[in-house]
Amino acid sequence: MNFFDQFRTGLRNLRRQKLRTSLTIFAIVIGAVSVTVMLSLVTSTKSFLVSSAEKIGMDTRVIVTGTPGLSYRDSQWNSPDGSEKKIDPAVLAAIKTIDKVQSATLYVNNGMFESFTVDNQELTMKQVGVEGYTPNGTIRHILVAGSELSEDSVGSGVLISSDLASHLGFKGKESALIGKSISLRYRKDSGPSDALKPDEVGKIVGVTASDNGSRLSVDLDWAVSFQTMPNPQNNQNPQMQNQSQIDRNGYSSIWVSVDQKKNVDNVLSEIKKLGFGAAAGKEEIDSQSTAFTIIGAILGGIGAIALLVAAIGVINTMVMATLERTREIGIMRAIGATKKTIRRLFRVEAGVLGCAGGLFGVMLSYGVAIGLNQILNKQLANSGIADRNIVSISPQIAVTVLFITTMIGMIAGSLPARRAANMDPVEALRYE
Amino acid sequence: MPFVQCSGLKKTYSVGGEEVKALDDVSLSIEKGDFIAICGPSGSGKSTLANVIGGLDQPDHGTVMVDGVDLAKAKDKTLSEYRNKKIGYVFQSFNLQAHETALENVISPLTVAGVGKKQERRERGMKALERVGLADRAKHKPTQLSGGQRQRVAIARALVNDPQIIIADEPTGNLDSTRGADVIAELKRLNTEGITLIIITHDASVAAQATRIIEIKDGKISERTGGK
Repeated sequence: MNFFDQFRTGLRNLRRQKLRTSLTIFAIVIGAVSVTVMLSLVTSTKSFLVSSAEKIGMDTRVIVTGTPGLSYRDSQWNSPDGSEKKIDPAVLAAIKTIDKVQSATLYVNNGMFESFTVDNQELTMKQVGVEGYTPNGTIRHILVAGSELSEDSVGSGVLISSDLASHLGFKGKESALIGKSISLRYRKDSGPSDALKPDEVGKIVGVTASDNGSRLSVDLDWAVSFQTMPNPQNNQNPQMQNQSQIDRNGYSSIWVSVDQKKNVDNVLSEIKKLGFGAAAGKEEIDSQSTAFTIIGAILGGIGAIALLVAAIGVINTMVMATLERTREIGIMRAIGATKKTIRRLFRVEAGVLGCAGGLFGVMLSYGVAIGLNQILNKQLANSGIADRNIVSISPQIAVTVLFITTMIGMIAGSLPARRAANMDPVEALRYE
Repeated sequence: MPFVQCSGLKKTYSVGGEEVKALDDVSLSIEKGDFIAICGPSGSGKSTLANVIGGLDQPDHGTVMVDGVDLAKAKDKTLSEYRNKKIGYVFQSFNLQAHETALENVISPLTVAGVGKKQERRERGMKALERVGLADRAKHKPTQLSGGQRQRVAIARALVNDPQIIIADEPTGNLDSTRGADVIAELKRLNTEGITLIIITHDASVAAQATRIIEIKDGKISERTGGK
């Protein structure tokens, strides 16, 4: 019996039991949808994170600190206390001479302020960092509005993260913040009240997506000047005794941009040779990717269980079919069907069940993806991220799921198929 | 060399823990063009004998030689091909596929064997239906046909692959006497065209028309020459 005839016969037999066929297919659809959606959700989110990270140059970024062994994440927030190797402009100069280093900047984290004010609205700084770096392209952000810091905005330009913007009431209209004045108030304990420095006043030039934490960003020299105390003799706060914390402890870190991702490892080892800690952004991306792969495997496993249950449904359906069609099987054997033909007939039929379930499942999954995107788009808009429709079902996933459900159908069908093929034709013909 | 040569056939069934000898040292040769009636009480082993000759069943002992091949030891593929190409089965209960049209039933042996293109199969199927005078019923489902017509469709199905032997197991059992006579007449006509005919029957008037009558009782056979 040729394949086309088997396929036709299979379809025809399935149509004879419409309800049972539909229910069996429905079970496979559920399995196929769960596998497809869960895998797609994970791969889409993963690729979204990776592409977001690449957009800001994280994949080619190296952060240099005075403490060897710090992770990338800890390097970002490193604040030197003087016990480690000091980061200063000389180190920057040395790093810039390393081959494949495209650009680099000294970087400071600042905790000098207690609040900032825009449009007469004051926000406290508890969770807010002020970062300072040279606006030479080494550090980039995903911008919701406005532009990056530049040479023109030195000493006044401020970037504000979108979550702070929404605290200020500018959610969805971040561009209205551009050009507004912002004033930063020093912490009371940063000096004696009589010597407290006046507020720093700047201008908002851009709003950044808040995936990098709640932050204000300013240029390096301005940020360094924040930490220069007016009264060096102040001994109320021992940390503030010196003229500048930076002079004493050095800069927080140096952020380096490597020309290509493949050269990152070389640059890392060159920097480590200098005795500094160096962590690559790609390590962070990789560890996040790994986390997503693990989540994906777990979610995919749940989907696989759904498919397994569906496979049991296929077995059940096909066993019923072999019983109902015992006599037909006998007739087919009498007119010359081999065991192999009977076996294939049932297997193809089960494969059609699996394939149909996969097909409808994948189609439904596209619908689910559209729904999920509707929800996620709102979330993304709330976080000030420009990307939309991040959940997409790749053709590879669709084809793989289709292939797997078909195979599951055929494998589940092979047990009943063997049963049907091994029936004694004489007995089968006598079956009532 | 006879067409089919059975020798020393033994086959035992176990029914409710009791051993039943369906075939007990049966030897038999069938020549081309024979018209054989196998008679005997129910449970005597006549169907078993026919099934062994037809390649649907295999004996526990003995040989069934056809064209130099021993069916008793043949593999499924050989047996299936033998049933498909050389044997045409006609059953008491017709055994048509209820969901298929008359024509689809008739061409099913061709479909199963993967013979030819769809068009060629249909032409051969129509020819077989014409031979039994049912060409105008090709698109009817079995339920839309009378018992006699169903059995003629079954005969057409047996004919479609130009078999050398037609095995008819109680072909008139479910028909009234007129329709039964028509079916027997049809089968006899095919026999005169050269097809070997084996009819299993307990109807003496049917058996009387055969050239050879084989009586089977408790698995043992005895033969006498038929009336015609």
